[in-house]
Amino acid sequence: MKNNSKVVIVLLAIVALSLIAACVPAQPAPVTVVETVVVEKEGETITVVETVEVEKIVEVEKEVFKEVSPVAYNSMHGDPEPRRVDEMLVQMFNEQNPDTPVDQSTINHEDFKQAIRAYLVADPAPDVMTWFAGNRARFFIDKGLILDISDVWEEQGWNEDYPKGFRAMSSVDGKQYFLPSSWYWWAIFYRKSIFEEQGITPPETWDELLTTCDTLNEQGIIPITIGTKFRWTAAAWFDYINMRLNGPEFHLNLMLGKESYEDPRVKAVFEKWTELFEHNCFIEDAAAYSWQDALDPLNRGEAAMYLMGQFITDSVAEEVQDDIDFFRFPIIDPDQPIGEDAPTDGYFMSANAKNAEGGKKFLAFMGSKEAQTIMVEELGRLPVHSGVDPGLFNPMQQKGIELIQGADLVVQFYDRDTTPEMADAGMNGMMAFWDDPEAIDDILADLEAVRQEVFAEEE
Amino acid sequence: MAVTSPTVHQKQKMNWTPYLFLIGPLALYLVWIIGPMLYTFYLSLTDWDGISPEAKYVGLENFEALFSSLGRRVPSAFEYSLSNNLKWLLTFITVPVGIGLGLAMVLNQDVKGDRFFKMGIFLPQVLSLPVIALIWSYGVYSPRGGLLVSLLNMGIDDPPAMLAEKHLVIWAIILAAAWRQVGYIMILYVAGLKNVDPTLLDASLVDGANAWERFRHVIFPLLAPVTTIVVVISIIDSLRSFDMVWVMTKGGPANASSVLAVLMYIQAFNNYKMGLGAATAVILFAISLVFIIAYLSRVMKDELEY
Repeated sequence: MKNNSKVVIVLLAIVALSLIAACVPAQPAPVTVVETVVVEKEGETITVVETVEVEKIVEVEKEVFKEVSPVAYNSMHGDPEPRRVDEMLVQMFNEQNPDTPVDQSTINHEDFKQAIRAYLVADPAPDVMTWFAGNRARFFIDKGLILDISDVWEEQGWNEDYPKGFRAMSSVDGKQYFLPSSWYWWAIFYRKSIFEEQGITPPETWDELLTTCDTLNEQGIIPITIGTKFRWTAAAWFDYINMRLNGPEFHLNLMLGKESYEDPRVKAVFEKWTELFEHNCFIEDAAAYSWQDALDPLNRGEAAMYLMGQFITDSVAEEVQDDIDFFRFPIIDPDQPIGEDAPTDGYFMSANAKNAEGGKKFLAFMGSKEAQTIMVEELGRLPVHSGVDPGLFNPMQQKGIELIQGADLVVQFYDRDTTPEMADAGMNGMMAFWDDPEAIDDILADLEAVRQEVFAEEE
Repeated sequence: MAVTSPTVHQKQKMNWTPYLFLIGPLALYLVWIIGPMLYTFYLSLTDWDGISPEAKYVGLENFEALFSSLGRRVPSAFEYSLSNNLKWLLTFITVPVGIGLGLAMVLNQDVKGDRFFKMGIFLPQVLSLPVIALIWSYGVYSPRGGLLVSLLNMGIDDPPAMLAEKHLVIWAIILAAAWRQVGYIMILYVAGLKNVDPTLLDASLVDGANAWERFRHVIFPLLAPVTTIVVVISIIDSLRSFDMVWVMTKGGPANASSVLAVLMYIQAFNNYKMGLGAATAVILFAISLVFIIAYLSRVMKDELEY
């Protein structure tokens, strides 16, 4: 009798204690920062009497704890090279600004695209995040989730230092929300040595491209390698064939949902695409490879070309680096204006940022000439800041700049220019087409249905 | 007086102690499982995008959208998901169960090194699903040097890239999942076999039953409780599958390997259509409910009999 009630009381006590323990707030983040500073101080105070040292340490801990207000920075630069530079820049900022240290959290590129939704509605949301320009950013800006940073633009003089096009890209209704930091061009990258051996010059027209494929196939070389496991590499082909065949304006209108997917011009894109299949231009089983996997044949000299963004040079094997060059996507219709994909990466801040001031400081640093220069030197990306010394650009970068300057219209990329749902359906449609080109009419009908549903909601 | 009071007293005491123990877990269950479940039901009737502060009530629109997407020439993601889950379910309740049972029967006898084999076959269970997915997608299925292709190259002229062919991809994933499942089923059956009363087996021997008859009429019926558990676990695992598909193909190519859990994730977190994702989750729940009710009614019936 008595034993039973004792057991119950003890159990209740345990439950109560565990509830209390669970309610204790977690240790605040600045602990690590505190440690580093303390270590440095220790070094300085080595000669002081031991007892005093101990006191000092405690004092310093308290001081630093009060002053530090960390900036939460979530980054998607997971690939090795971009990550190295990203962390380098963060470290530079932290050294210059020890009272607003940046707390960096990096996850891989693909997963970040899903994670951002959770970041933006979290409380507190991360202060600064990497993201893409174009519709991708607009989607969140229109929902009021992004902080207006027009004041930072004004203070830092970016309204003058950044080209008009990039400023326009970052603004909605006259206010700036986005900080573009680097852009890169897309082109067909190829192995110079293979072309030389086979006596091929970079094709400039569609027919020349098909002939190049034939020549390479005869020699047992895969003309074009591609990894479509994550779909967007296939979307690049759609973008370019559409822009070359129907003009970049039509392409952009299609992205914005103003044109129909059942328009005969869209079908014509897929018919041209089929010609590439007929000439066996692509590597087999492309859907089994991620874009990095598909680099392997290029590295080994088994494949010659890859339609890809300039970041391909980050991942190409070292021995092959000097053997890579690029050419502009071939012209199909010489009467059409030339459009190019030049996706722009950048940063923005969430409207719910806990440390908006610190975040803006970090943004100011990342958008400065200093930081932009480092990105050019280390990663070979093209900066947005016009103050960066053009002498820094190596021949390939200069060629890339010329490529984009020669374009009549610059677009972002399929899955950045159109809404996420449309992009998902569209890319799935392209994969379905790749697998079964005959089904294109049904695929386009389905895409049109999605387009009407998606863009009708927005009106 | 002395006879009735202790019983009454005992009854009163028994009443509240167990409930007190239950309060903790029940509270957690309500908050973490039931609550979100009800919230999902509510979300499936809205068009919430996961970000905006408001969600508009749209009734059964989400469900209509899903079901009306069936029957197209290019199957929709939902259609692929339903058929893939079904394939997964049917495979899981037959293949790993059959192989697991066979292995358990074989290893239950005095075979040399049986513990070594049992351990080896169970080992995949220890690895997490994403790890297994990576091993299979790069080590086995990769068209450039994977194990499968190397084997097939010896006989077949143009071996398919399993993860790129829309008709083969789901089977490739199910195979990897089943490979892992076999060990688990086998261990369950090994335990079950140990519980088979040897006197019954001896009796059947005396009655002149051969090996097959012994299995069919004595061993297998005695394994019924284990089989029930095994089948239920297989069904639940097959409906829950997400990790393997996500890591190997993310539901591709073009939705060919999509399963309901993957579809739900993409709709909710990739396409900002929480309502649609919730509706998919509700459908998944409904399908699971059918099997769970079947299992529970069976188990409750047995308990009542006792």
